[in-house]
Amino acid sequence: MAATVSPDSLAARPARARRPLGKRLRTIGFHTGASALSLLWFLPIALILVISFRSTDDVLGNGLNALPHSFAPDNYSAAWSGGGMQQALINSAIVSVPAVALTLLLASMAAFALSRYKIPLRRTLILVMLGGNLLPPQILLVPVAKLSQVFGLYDSLPTLIAVEVGFGLGFYVFVLQGFMRTIPAEIQQAALLDGAGAFQIYWRIVLPLTRPALAALGALSFTWVFNDLLWPITVLITQSKMPVTPALLSLQGQYVSYWNVIAAGSVIAAIPTVAVFLRFQRHFIAGLNLGAVK
Amino acid sequence: MSSYTVSRRGLLAGAGAVGAAAALSGCATATAPAGSTQQGGAVTLQSDLSSPLAEQAMQSLVAAYSKQSKYTVKLNTVAATTYQPLLPTYLTSANPPDIYTWYAGNDADHYSSQGLLLDVSSAWKTMDNYQPALKTLSTDAAGKQIFVPTDYYWWGVFYRKSQFAKWGLGEPKTWSDFVNACATIKAKGAIPIGLGAGTGTAWVAAAWFDYLNIRLNGADFHRDLLQGKHSFTDPKVVDVFTTWKQVLPYFDPNGTAVSWQEASNQLLNGKCGMLLTGTFFADAVPKGSIDDLDFFKFPVIDPSVPDAEEAPTDGLFASSKTHNAAAVLDFMTWMATPTAQNLWTATSSGTVIPANPQATAPSSALVQKGKSMLAEAAQLTQFFNRDSTDALQNTANTALIDFIQNPGKLSSILTTWQSQAEQVWKTA
Repeated sequence: MAATVSPDSLAARPARARRPLGKRLRTIGFHTGASALSLLWFLPIALILVISFRSTDDVLGNGLNALPHSFAPDNYSAAWSGGGMQQALINSAIVSVPAVALTLLLASMAAFALSRYKIPLRRTLILVMLGGNLLPPQILLVPVAKLSQVFGLYDSLPTLIAVEVGFGLGFYVFVLQGFMRTIPAEIQQAALLDGAGAFQIYWRIVLPLTRPALAALGALSFTWVFNDLLWPITVLITQSKMPVTPALLSLQGQYVSYWNVIAAGSVIAAIPTVAVFLRFQRHFIAGLNLGAVK
Repeated sequence: MSSYTVSRRGLLAGAGAVGAAAALSGCATATAPAGSTQQGGAVTLQSDLSSPLAEQAMQSLVAAYSKQSKYTVKLNTVAATTYQPLLPTYLTSANPPDIYTWYAGNDADHYSSQGLLLDVSSAWKTMDNYQPALKTLSTDAAGKQIFVPTDYYWWGVFYRKSQFAKWGLGEPKTWSDFVNACATIKAKGAIPIGLGAGTGTAWVAAAWFDYLNIRLNGADFHRDLLQGKHSFTDPKVVDVFTTWKQVLPYFDPNGTAVSWQEASNQLLNGKCGMLLTGTFFADAVPKGSIDDLDFFKFPVIDPSVPDAEEAPTDGLFASSKTHNAAAVLDFMTWMATPTAQNLWTATSSGTVIPANPQATAPSSALVQKGKSMLAEAAQLTQFFNRDSTDALQNTANTALIDFIQNPGKLSSILTTWQSQAEQVWKTA
């Protein structure tokens, strides 16, 4: 995608200086509008950042939305050690990284088979996978919880990884097979003539060509798995095994919540996803039109 | 609720078949954490006391227990907001946590009637000095004790002493005093009564219903009503709402929009004059401001009705499926001792009264006042959901919020409430 866009923008650049007034006004309008919108988007984040640096007495006495009267960076250490964010981040990493790697591996294999070979019921399989994605995951909460108990898999991180992989797979297969179908058949035929087997074609030809899609999906799925709350609280019960999202929730009290510590915890919890986003920013945007163009 | 019964039945069938698997995983969890010896063993304590102060207090309790016992207790704190919906799931799971923090009364009885709770009568053998009322509260319909109370607290109309002095107000004793006080506060430009029944804390409105009902119709009628022995369309219930209407104009107009924690903020910074709340309120008060706070007993409306007060009791119950009943009972017996309860009241926010009469309650004037108010009360109630079920609480939330917003629609609100409540009683 990126390769087709960049020559265009290079070609357009010299022309920009001689643009008519109307077009320039439109550009100015776009930029003021966009910055106003992004400011609006940033406002809640700024509020969280401000709250995370206020002291408990300040928040309790003056209310959440008051201007800060104090500076208390120790909220972060309270959330990190006392609130258990440290262990929670480790748990999240233990779950997210294998879950993403495993989903991408399995999904790309399935997508390769479904897109490059004439498998009977291929269309039905893809539609079933897509259909499964349209169902809300909530209806499977009780079956998943009960089954994991019956199989003795309840309350363990590998179970959570398996559940996350299972629920992500359908969508990733659907997206990846759409992408793999755009790879010209000639490349595969050439490899076949050179004596490559199915696995070699998959591993050495198709997979490298699918890299942009894999990177985009990997970045997306990392944020999804990392930010998931539903499955962790369904299959886990022990506090020390909980990933970031339930840990953040458990900072809330029964009656009274120390919002400054919760805000500090949220900031800590947001760092990994923000880091992944910044690193894979390009792929995120590419990910939005995955499978949109054939 | 019925779905739990069905799934539990299915589960019991499954549990028989995979009993071996469950037992294996049970061993794994029992030996893995501390490598404890066979005659000791670890049990899990599932706690919903997730506010930082309460969690630390629980941690120090568990540490103190483990130091003097051959058993170890592993504390699992779960967010209060997720604990309540997940509690039935915990209790019905194949390998459930052993001990749970929860409420005494009808709510515990409800789980016991499904066979989910452990008989803790043997722990009660050491608890002869407890008030008989607490024992009754901890006994299920079948006559066995299933609950060990650790502490209780009270509800009252909280206010700031300095604000009341500024407005020239004293503590109202009767309903007409109270209405006059509301008028005075309104004339001074503040909101007389805060509520905080907004998102997530709609249940606080039920405190008003509870108190008006027990002041007008008495605690017995109130309990019977919540058990389905009277109808919500009863003229006595209509009385509750007509009395409520007298003070409704003095309620915070945003009372059903702001959360309880925001309402407590309004009281602290003087925007509102009074707030009917439980003592957990003290957790929301910055250090140093607590001395300015005081409360008065909910005003008497009909002097011929004996005074009853809300005194929600917290404590522990245990799963009947525990693998280590000896350890569970040992821990619960220890939690009933003055030593444990003193530790708890000293490390938590300090506004609860220990359940064991031999334990020392915090010496603050606020706690002593609350303790004597409860001691003088003819009867004690718990709270709407604790005297009924969480399902009935949901119907109350809908009805009460609707009433506060549209007091004119009272009769249709009560009819709807009654039909929803009938659904709950039918399925319970």
